[in-house]
Amino acid sequence: MTTDLLHQAAPAARHRNGAALGVGLLVLIGVLAVVCVMSITLGTRGIGLGSIIDAFRDRDDSVDATVIREMRVPRTLIGLSAGIALGLAGALLQGLTRNPLADPGIMGVNTGASAFIVSSIAILGTQAMTTYIWFGFIGAAVSVVLVYGVASFGREGATPVKLALAGAAISAGFYAITTGVVMTNIDALNQMRAWQVGSLAGRYWPELQYSAPFIVVGAILALTLGRALNGLALGDDMATALGQRIVLTRSVVFVAVILLAGAATAACGPIAFVGLVIPHVARALCGPDYRWILPYTLVLSPIILLLADIAGRLVLKPGELQVGVVLGVLGAPAFIALVRNRSLAKL
Amino acid sequence: MSKLRFVVPAVAAALILAACGSSDDSADGEKWSYKSGDGKTYTADEIPDRIIAQGESAAALLSYGIKPVGIYLSEPVEQNRSLAGFDLDGIEILGEEWGKIDAEKAAELKPDLIVSSYWPVEKAYGGMENAVEESSKKVGKLATIVGPTAGESIETMLTGYEDLAESLGADTESGDGAAAKADYEAAKERFKSVVAEKKGLTALGVSPADDLLYVAVPEHSAELTDFVEWGLDVTIPDSPNPDFPYWENLSWEKADKYQPDLILLDDRTYDTSLATAEKQPTWTSIKAVEAGAITPWPAYWVSTYADYAEQLQKLADAIEKADPDLT
Repeated sequence: MTTDLLHQAAPAARHRNGAALGVGLLVLIGVLAVVCVMSITLGTRGIGLGSIIDAFRDRDDSVDATVIREMRVPRTLIGLSAGIALGLAGALLQGLTRNPLADPGIMGVNTGASAFIVSSIAILGTQAMTTYIWFGFIGAAVSVVLVYGVASFGREGATPVKLALAGAAISAGFYAITTGVVMTNIDALNQMRAWQVGSLAGRYWPELQYSAPFIVVGAILALTLGRALNGLALGDDMATALGQRIVLTRSVVFVAVILLAGAATAACGPIAFVGLVIPHVARALCGPDYRWILPYTLVLSPIILLLADIAGRLVLKPGELQVGVVLGVLGAPAFIALVRNRSLAKL
Repeated sequence: MSKLRFVVPAVAAALILAACGSSDDSADGEKWSYKSGDGKTYTADEIPDRIIAQGESAAALLSYGIKPVGIYLSEPVEQNRSLAGFDLDGIEILGEEWGKIDAEKAAELKPDLIVSSYWPVEKAYGGMENAVEESSKKVGKLATIVGPTAGESIETMLTGYEDLAESLGADTESGDGAAAKADYEAAKERFKSVVAEKKGLTALGVSPADDLLYVAVPEHSAELTDFVEWGLDVTIPDSPNPDFPYWENLSWEKADKYQPDLILLDDRTYDTSLATAEKQPTWTSIKAVEAGAITPWPAYWVSTYADYAEQLQKLADAIEKADPDLT
């Protein structure tokens, strides 16, 4: 902790570091652009580059053009926004709780949103994205309040360990609700499987249209919180001593997390690991300064989410594997590798 | 383990219920015997009368006036199509979710027979598949479990239920059961003649979900097997899911891969499935959809002659209206 402070206080080192990190970020933005192009060109349906260009230029009504314009492009944009949302939400929660294992999944935010959406569909019938995105937010908010509330019992307040335990318990509870609703409703079996495992398939312009605005607001909010999170990383007492308004900061972080994770879950179901692993990758690349961790996470997360989605499209042709499953398979060993390589206690 | 499971019930049944046994040929002096879907013939000294049945099998028994003491289902009872219209008063409901049967309640009923159809792909009776909860599997050991195979055709299965009902003492030669069978024979003949008039008509069984379009493999659907047998050209998908060969999983991007003249849409979730499909930009890339040639396919739930007769008449209507030259 003290070394971090010294490090940040050294202007020369920071400057040099900043230039390198800036270049690195630009390179990653280039990679993200390439991945987006890949996501539009690769899929279960083989479509030649010529047809893809035609789809945008001629606006014809061929099936290929429909697939590109109505399916792959919105899918890519949903992947992009959901990746950004989940990654940032994870970074914010890790910073806020000083808990290396915090992520929207572990805190029960995704599962809470999912459980509320599924219950609303079961009780009120199938609805438009416009309606159930609000249930997503309510679910995300309820789980954040519950987890934080439960973890705050006791004298020492919401310690990282208590937060993780409360999150795991409440997350399991919400997952049970989702599974229960899905299993007991025959209509739900096929239609709601997506609320158990996240997927970018079958989501098109409407899903993007109603989730993206919230994600944009949440992301902007998140990017302004870098300095505040750096302060919180010193511990509540130190942060207060440095003049931070802890309660206000926490509240703003929670609002951002609820917006980001709630909207991402409403758009594509619960997706784990992005929010957990990517902030660690970002931290490994740029050190403990949240003013860099947040933008790095923002760019890295959609790269990984889209690559996993592309892999899921190609491994099971003519079917597809849900991106939530791919990330589960790839994310677990990646996370173990991270844990082994870095001392996570440094948070 | 999975192999063991098929030996164990027979052995356990012999040990626990000395009255019941299993052998390949029925010996003299045994009052009840039945050749089950797993290929074995089961026998008992007394005609079983305390039966626990899986939902669809219960409907089949009820159609012959045989009332089980308990039933277990894969869905809430009011959502079960085959049990609609039957009086379920006095029948204990042991489970309303796939894979979950209340073993304690089932044991209290002291069953002497369990009836469920046999699924050759899973090599198990419905409700006793490998993935169900352990407690459910215990139910399979309370008594001998029998039932016709669901893996050949509905006709074979209905004949199997008829044989079973007869072995249990029901009158299958007259009454409602016989009347329903006559309706079925008539519906089947009409189906055949309607199909014969539509030379070149192709059909495809589908079940749309929000991330994939499931395309039915006819040989693993008892209904589609019948339709093929009766002359309907049901398209065979070329790459079924190796882990679950009932379907080919088609990504929505490839929804236009097969172009049938008539779509048979899984009717277990007809309305929601159709709504989900209509959300997909590529659903209308199937010409039959564009032409409105979509009809309900009674998928995996028919277990009585009455239901099958009704469904076959509806299908015949749809086939009559379909255009064999659409594609």
